[in-house]
Amino acid sequence: MTDPFVIAPMLVALLSIVATLGTRRRLGVQIVLSLAGVLAYAGTIGAIAWRVALSPGASPATYQLGGWPAPFGITLVADALSAFMLTMAAVVGVGALVFSVSYMPPDEQRVFYHPLFHALLLGVTGAFLTGDLFNLFVWFEVMLMASYAFVAFYGRAEHTRAALRYVSLNLIGSAVMLLAIGGLYAVTGTLNMADMATRLADPAAAGIETDAVVGLSALLFAVFALKGGLVPFQFWVPSAYRAAPLPVTALFAGVTKKVGFYAIVRLYFTVFGAAELSVSIPGVSGESLLAFYGPVLFCMAVASVVVGALGALDADSLEGVFAYSSISQLGFIAIPLAIGAAATTPAIRRFAVLAALVYALNHALAKAALFLAAGTVRDAVGTSRLGDLGGLAGRSPVLAGVVFVCALALVGIPPLSGFFGKLLVFDVAVRAGAVPGLVLLIGGTGLTIAYTTRVWNRAFWGDPSAVVDASSPDPVQLTVLVAFAVALVAVGIGFDPVYRFADAAATAATDRGAYIDAVDLTGGGGA
Amino acid sequence: MTAFVLAAVVGTLFAAGTFLLLRRDVLHVVWGLTVLSQAANVYLMTMGGIVEPSGDAVPVLAGHGEHVPQTTDPLVQALVLTAIVISFAMTAFALVLTYRVYQEHHTLDLLEIGGEP
Repeated sequence: MTDPFVIAPMLVALLSIVATLGTRRRLGVQIVLSLAGVLAYAGTIGAIAWRVALSPGASPATYQLGGWPAPFGITLVADALSAFMLTMAAVVGVGALVFSVSYMPPDEQRVFYHPLFHALLLGVTGAFLTGDLFNLFVWFEVMLMASYAFVAFYGRAEHTRAALRYVSLNLIGSAVMLLAIGGLYAVTGTLNMADMATRLADPAAAGIETDAVVGLSALLFAVFALKGGLVPFQFWVPSAYRAAPLPVTALFAGVTKKVGFYAIVRLYFTVFGAAELSVSIPGVSGESLLAFYGPVLFCMAVASVVVGALGALDADSLEGVFAYSSISQLGFIAIPLAIGAAATTPAIRRFAVLAALVYALNHALAKAALFLAAGTVRDAVGTSRLGDLGGLAGRSPVLAGVVFVCALALVGIPPLSGFFGKLLVFDVAVRAGAVPGLVLLIGGTGLTIAYTTRVWNRAFWGDPSAVVDASSPDPVQLTVLVAFAVALVAVGIGFDPVYRFADAAATAATDRGAYIDAVDLTGGGGA
Repeated sequence: MTAFVLAAVVGTLFAAGTFLLLRRDVLHVVWGLTVLSQAANVYLMTMGGIVEPSGDAVPVLAGHGEHVPQTTDPLVQALVLTAIVISFAMTAFALVLTYRVYQEHHTLDLLEIGGEP
């Protein structure tokens, strides 16, 4: 039961890399091929989303590389959760690439910009689709390799400094990830995620020591938190986000950060959650390995929300504020996950994942648009330092309107998508009776209002500064921004299909049986 | 016995890698990262299990049903090969980046390069 279309987005991204590399000397051709590539990529993802999540008879699809049956070969799995994350990647990817064609100077686009962009998409796609733990590592590396090059892209003093920090941290992260994966292989005897879930569900039969799995999965968890930029692993985020070209930063914040988030959902809710283990931590009870991560994730989420928001209040440039805000917002995504991990009933757990997914979608759209808007400001005005800006609203009402809509979406005002994200997160906290979570959510929302207001007051209201008065935003860039703002409104108004998609994704994340069935472990003849 | 030797080797490599990683010189840091990832590779090898080799560890051979040659777990070796290739690429990138850092900052001393941009 293999469906070749699962591998299609990866092949398209790979072809785009090759095609854009081959046409480096002819910029026009390269741009056309690059845009065609990203549109084809989005098209294949649309097909996958339709096939595995949205159509009436949707079911997860798998592709066994090289025709090797499941527990032995490398499996690619496209279920509703993967499809949801991929759709997010495709939307942000198309927007960011169209934007960068207008934003990046032609000479810089010639410097491997397009091949690297597609390599980043390829890594992300692989990480979302793989059903094999070691391949998750490999795709993380593909994605990181492209992102290293992007952080160092401009190559001036501050960029090389940011890249040095980013590369060192992620190399340490990769070594730790390798340790955890090796250990898990030694303990469970498999790398296939579905096979691992099957074995963990009955540890005695497979001869697995669950205690070892707790420790190793905690190591792995630290790596995913590092990739996601959760406190205390957040310190690389601001400098790396400020150093990379802004359209790529939009992709970093909107998509690659979510890969860490996706890995946490997929591995801890689908795979490790299968292991039974009595947890005795004060305030938490549970018979699943997942319960161990509830308090841990909650502490990290609390710290992220507060540290990120305080950093955003103090940052002195548009992208600085948005970079810190992105740490804070990831905390909001982690809170429902923490509540879900500590929850004892499957219904709340599923609902918590659903809330986190909707919030992640809102954050991906809003934050990508905000970073792109910071790019437009920098392109038009020549600076994005808050001290040099002012009165942008009078100069360009469209730009100001987009930033206003995105800021409202981050705060969570109806009818934008952020409202439903916030609503669901609050709902989960109330249903699970998590009072500390509720307090934090309200406090964090207050801080979000504070820093978005600060950006608005400093950059968009008041008298235009001399540089602002002389500026004129690029119409193509504004069109992309407006498209993102319209998407935010559209998701909010037509929320029902989005909710159903996220619901299917959350069901896929928590329904272990369906995932294991889809991978079809019997293909190997039971060896 | 093999297990103890390997444990000592992995431990020493991690210690050496961490030591280099904490130096002030960027080049030492890069070598530290390289040693660290090699330590992870050696560790990965030992995760195949240090046992008497038998055909059972290899599913392709075990399916044969007849006598198969004695083999250790081949999967970890495949994993290590992949990991080595990746760490080669990363080392190359890190070295190029180090050179670029030197060009921009005219120093490889981390304290002089500084913190926040």
